[in-house]
Amino acid sequence: MIALSVAAALAVFLLYTSIAGGGTPALRPSSLAGHAGKVSLSGRVLKPVSGDAHAGGLRFRLRDVNGTASVPVVYRGSVPDLFRAGRDIVVDGRLQNGVFVAVPGTMITKCPSKYTPKKT
Amino acid sequence: MPELGRAALFVCFGLAVYAAVAGFWGAHTRRRRLSRSAQNALVAAFVSAAVATGVLLVALVSSDFSFTYVSAFTSRELPLAYKLTALWGGQEGSLLLWLLVLTGYSAAAVLLDRKAGRELVVWVVPVLGVVAVFFSMLLVFVASPFDTELAPADGRGLAPSLQSPYMQAHPPMLYLGYVGLTVPFAFAMGALLSGRTDERWIVATRRWTLAAWLFLGVGQLLGAKWAYEEVGWGGYYAWDPVENAALMPWLAATAFLHSVMVQEKKGMLKVWNMLLVILAFTLSLFGTFLTRSGVLNSIHSFTESSIGPWFLGFICFVVASSLVLLFKRLPLLRSKTKLESLVSREATFLYNNLLLVALCLTILWGVTFPILSDAVRGEAVTVGRPYYDFFLRAFGLPLLLLMGIGPLIAWRRASLSSLKRVFFWPTAFALAVGVMLIALGAGSSVPGLIAYTFSAFVAATIVLEFARGTAARRSLSGETVPRAFASLIARNRRRYGGYVVHAAIVLLAIGVAGSSAYNTSRSARLSPGQSLEVRDYTLVYRGVNSTRAANAIEQRATIDVYKGGNRIAVMHPGKNDYPVEQQISNEVSIRSDWLTGEDLFLITEQINRNGTIDFKAIINPLVNMIWLAGLVFVLGSVITLWPDAREERRLAIRYGRVAPEPSA
Repeated sequence: MIALSVAAALAVFLLYTSIAGGGTPALRPSSLAGHAGKVSLSGRVLKPVSGDAHAGGLRFRLRDVNGTASVPVVYRGSVPDLFRAGRDIVVDGRLQNGVFVAVPGTMITKCPSKYTPKKT
Repeated sequence: MPELGRAALFVCFGLAVYAAVAGFWGAHTRRRRLSRSAQNALVAAFVSAAVATGVLLVALVSSDFSFTYVSAFTSRELPLAYKLTALWGGQEGSLLLWLLVLTGYSAAAVLLDRKAGRELVVWVVPVLGVVAVFFSMLLVFVASPFDTELAPADGRGLAPSLQSPYMQAHPPMLYLGYVGLTVPFAFAMGALLSGRTDERWIVATRRWTLAAWLFLGVGQLLGAKWAYEEVGWGGYYAWDPVENAALMPWLAATAFLHSVMVQEKKGMLKVWNMLLVILAFTLSLFGTFLTRSGVLNSIHSFTESSIGPWFLGFICFVVASSLVLLFKRLPLLRSKTKLESLVSREATFLYNNLLLVALCLTILWGVTFPILSDAVRGEAVTVGRPYYDFFLRAFGLPLLLLMGIGPLIAWRRASLSSLKRVFFWPTAFALAVGVMLIALGAGSSVPGLIAYTFSAFVAATIVLEFARGTAARRSLSGETVPRAFASLIARNRRRYGGYVVHAAIVLLAIGVAGSSAYNTSRSARLSPGQSLEVRDYTLVYRGVNSTRAANAIEQRATIDVYKGGNRIAVMHPGKNDYPVEQQISNEVSIRSDWLTGEDLFLITEQINRNGTIDFKAIINPLVNMIWLAGLVFVLGSVITLWPDAREERRLAIRYGRVAPEPSA
């Protein structure tokens, strides 16, 4: 009985992964090369930030949090309150001709107080 | 002062070690004196944890910035209430709160549940002791809240978005819940250690589990409300790992609360209940670990965190030792009865459990997948909203339906005729509601339609149950309807309180389905005088005002809201600019329609120099049902938690006879 139910649950699970095809790779700018599909990119926002997120698109470079590699990003849609140069963000999108074109409205800032372990 | 705090924590650590070691030895060698002194050590550990907490609170209130913790999480300007609640603003303070609540619960549980049988309680003490050893050790050796520094002129302050009453109440509620699950876990381990594997550990901890579960539930709803009003993206739950961290133990505890009823009534599922309580407790440790270790950032920052590896080690220790213990006691846990039919109360409890655990484990899989894939493949892969939404529907909707079926179906074996009699009207009602909803256009979302039809079915069964019960009491005692209704609940708190909680879950389902399946959102760039139409609202933008407040520049747009040609409201969504903290905070404006439970949710996404705004309007139908569900949830839980002298007597007789207290 229990074995049967576990099997049923597993079947549902497999059904999902076969339809939706697993998850989105979470990458840093340095590991972006060679990924053509949709990825979730995390990194630190570099100055200068220009453009308009609600018109032509917000433009900035995103750099590895612990590194130097960076990639230009264009983003449209809601901008979280905590977004600013120097902050760490995560955004979904895909690399097109050397520019990371973000999916509108997917930007998340990593809340510094909540996630970062304190370094003393 | 910091010395006093450090000393108190060290004493607490020593007492916890004593409670664990002496408690174990006393129980093993059956020395009553030793066991007694281990119990007293737990109580004393609570006192010293309270002293340590007191020291930190005094430092916070008096803005003693020589405490690193105080300067990191408060500033002089911060209102007193936020200085106090900064106690759980950071890692060290949160751990201290864990320890305080843990030792408090332990002392109370041991003192209050002495009646549960001495043989059981003596084994509970060392288990509680071990958990207290872990947390006090972290606070003494790894993450001390009493580190000092050369006092800076002012502290770094508290993030503006966290300065909200919801954020004051949300963390302690969650901790009361997380830590509360330690008690049933310790009693379960005590039962295994002592070999007293009858239902007594369940009876002794039923209220503890319920209380912990209530706190976890309320804590999550407070967090959701905070996200809705403060974070301001128009939603209340984002399947964020930190949110899931609280949802998982709640789901496991929900499964446990249901399956223990089967053990109480039928003596079945003994091993399963042990597994569930181990799962619930482990997940509460895991939740604390997730939110506090930095593992979510990446697997690499986890190793930089001071407490991460300790937590992981302790979780492994808990899982391994409790499973070994369980395995050793398996022969004692054979159930005397078997499942007789797949259509019976027992069976529906089993389905409910499997669905809850399946939902819990798929969430766990989603949360840990980035970490696991990073560790295995060197590339983190995240699963997003679609993953969680899919499983919430796949497992949540059948759960909703079972909630209507379970309470009405007979124990052991249900006959076809009884099924027909019991379910005819609820099914008819649900189908009628479904047809009506399709006519009203709810067919635009199939999951939403199913959720509403199921909700109608469950609501009908609950109303019928109350009506039948009241009628039966009336014919028995000749009371008036309200009196019969009241005495029906009073005489059967667990059952009818449970129905009230079920009603709360129905409300929650209605609110979640309404606001996620039928919401509308539109955004546009508006110049003063321009308007935006959203469903039957017309929103006219008038202009932006800017005012200086004490610590922020407040910009507010003025939006006239028209419905059916009449101006029904003026709303002011905007932004606050905090120059000192260098932060901008979105201040959304929400208008709740209390008649329909619908919210008009306005966000000023961007204020442009030329006077235009980028503006977003969301209509969240029925979202207020979620908050109402919270109130009903508390009401139902309190009904079931309320002390019941009649039940106590019944249990005393039952366990007095089945397993007489050995006289020492």
